[in-house]
Amino acid sequence: MSAYKFSKIVKSILIYSALILAVILSIFPIVYLLVTSFKPPELTFEPSQWIFRPTLKNYQDVFAGGTFIRYFLNSSIIALTTTFFALILGSFAGYGFARFRFRGSLWMRLGSLVPQMLPPITIIVPLYVLFNSISLIDSRWALVISYLTFSVPLAIWMMTGFFLDLHPELEESAMIDGCSRFEALIRINLPLVAPGLAATAILCFLYCWNEFLYAVILTGRDSRTLPVTITSFMTNKAILWGRIAAAGSLVLVPVLIFALLAQRWLVRGLSRGAIKG
Amino acid sequence: MQTDNHILMKSISFSPKNNSIRKTYKRIEPVFYIGPAFLVLAVILIYPLGYSLWLSLHEWMLRTFRQGIPWVGLKNYLALLSNTEFLNSLQITFTFMFFAISLEFILGMGLALLLDHDLRGKTFFRSMILLPMMCTNVVIGLTFRLLLNYQYGFVNFILTGIGLPPIEWLSNPAWAMRAVVLVDVWNTTSFVALLLLAGLQSLPDEPYEAARIDGASGWQTFLYLTLPLLRNTILVVLLWRVIDTFRIFDVIYLLTAGGPARATETVSIYIYRYGFQSFNLGFASAVSYIMILIMLLVAGVLARIIGRMDEL
Repeated sequence: MSAYKFSKIVKSILIYSALILAVILSIFPIVYLLVTSFKPPELTFEPSQWIFRPTLKNYQDVFAGGTFIRYFLNSSIIALTTTFFALILGSFAGYGFARFRFRGSLWMRLGSLVPQMLPPITIIVPLYVLFNSISLIDSRWALVISYLTFSVPLAIWMMTGFFLDLHPELEESAMIDGCSRFEALIRINLPLVAPGLAATAILCFLYCWNEFLYAVILTGRDSRTLPVTITSFMTNKAILWGRIAAAGSLVLVPVLIFALLAQRWLVRGLSRGAIKG
Repeated sequence: MQTDNHILMKSISFSPKNNSIRKTYKRIEPVFYIGPAFLVLAVILIYPLGYSLWLSLHEWMLRTFRQGIPWVGLKNYLALLSNTEFLNSLQITFTFMFFAISLEFILGMGLALLLDHDLRGKTFFRSMILLPMMCTNVVIGLTFRLLLNYQYGFVNFILTGIGLPPIEWLSNPAWAMRAVVLVDVWNTTSFVALLLLAGLQSLPDEPYEAARIDGASGWQTFLYLTLPLLRNTILVVLLWRVIDTFRIFDVIYLLTAGGPARATETVSIYIYRYGFQSFNLGFASAVSYIMILIMLLVAGVLARIIGRMDEL
């Protein structure tokens, strides 16, 4: 075997080992959470114990009382509603930024990111006061409205990238044939940009699904979302790790599976935004 | 709006005389598309930002607000300058940002370069590595709290297993900062790697061939070719990371709650303590405004650099 070939094999062994190590480190905490969720409560604090009779006790405890289902629904409804509005507003604005160059358009585009940059903690006190005064506190709308502050900028940013990828000739020829620009956008551009819409939707959904700070302050018994529910298993007396692990797994697993299925679009969407940005 | 737009277009296209209307329409056309999003954002944000500014110039305390909310001018802001806890939280935020972002870039660049090879199972590796950035922050914070537990944590179990002393990850101030950085690195290195990888894949081939013919080493190629070509991507990723680390709240709040002894109390947690535990809203709002100003300043500088390169 030539020295060149030998060094090539060594190199690929090194690359694969490094990647496998990265994969193990990436998924280990998630696996540990899942394993803990199936452990009987007395084994939660035995990190060495990997062989045990799995139990659904923690999951039963989480579902006991029936509130968990309601909070699961809250999370889903809030995330879906926000995503819906963010997609509509973001697509039009993204199209606008991609097709029109006017004085200050670049600055406006960057400016559209400002709401997303605002640390939530800085606007949460006034939002609380505002929602309190219009009796929206502890309603799903309070969270949808708050979440629009970061999901609309995100949608604008990503959709601009996707529309920049489309050649304007298509819609121009449609407009010569008598379509208005708006019709051309709806009939021609939107279908073509569907993968981008999907990526944007998934990302918006994830952000809303995972959000904690707005949710913990603006919701109470009725409109509570899942991340807040998980922290309710940290009581004054004890931290109920088994239930936290079970609830945590229930929050993570659906979105992780979903994200894996859609990952090709997601990767493209994220990177498109970053590079074309 | 949709029908207006339509009718306007039609009427214009059938009347060649209306050249000036057409011009005006062309000028305001972007407003139809960009306007709604900006309007919604403005409506949502104008009241909170205004009220917060008003609060920051008043004294609002839970004990006294029923007797009145006196105007105090810049007192809250001035008090901040000499408030050691605030300065401490700023210092902690920037320390955290520096170490977290540096590590994420080094590791993320490494991962991106690895994934840029022709590999079998590339999609598998990429999707597994991607998982941490999709996880709910609350779950991440709590999972690591369990993993890093001094007595029962898995990490110390491994450490003692290979003969090292266990580490007080969350109860020793020096280690708590490292733990928080570690968790953030776990959480977002994949994000950095993903975007850098996309950047790498969009680079042209020709300069690399030229470099190979000239006999440049791998390291030289990376330093003098890849890094400069990737500059724009790197800056955009940096912008996102700066925004996100500067305001970090939930992971740290659930991991250490800012402790021990305020060793991990970032500005967001500091504001939370004043706003929602001491209910000193005037003061908390003043800190908020300072935080927003710092954010805009940093983001503005980065955006300016990116914008300038866009014109090139």
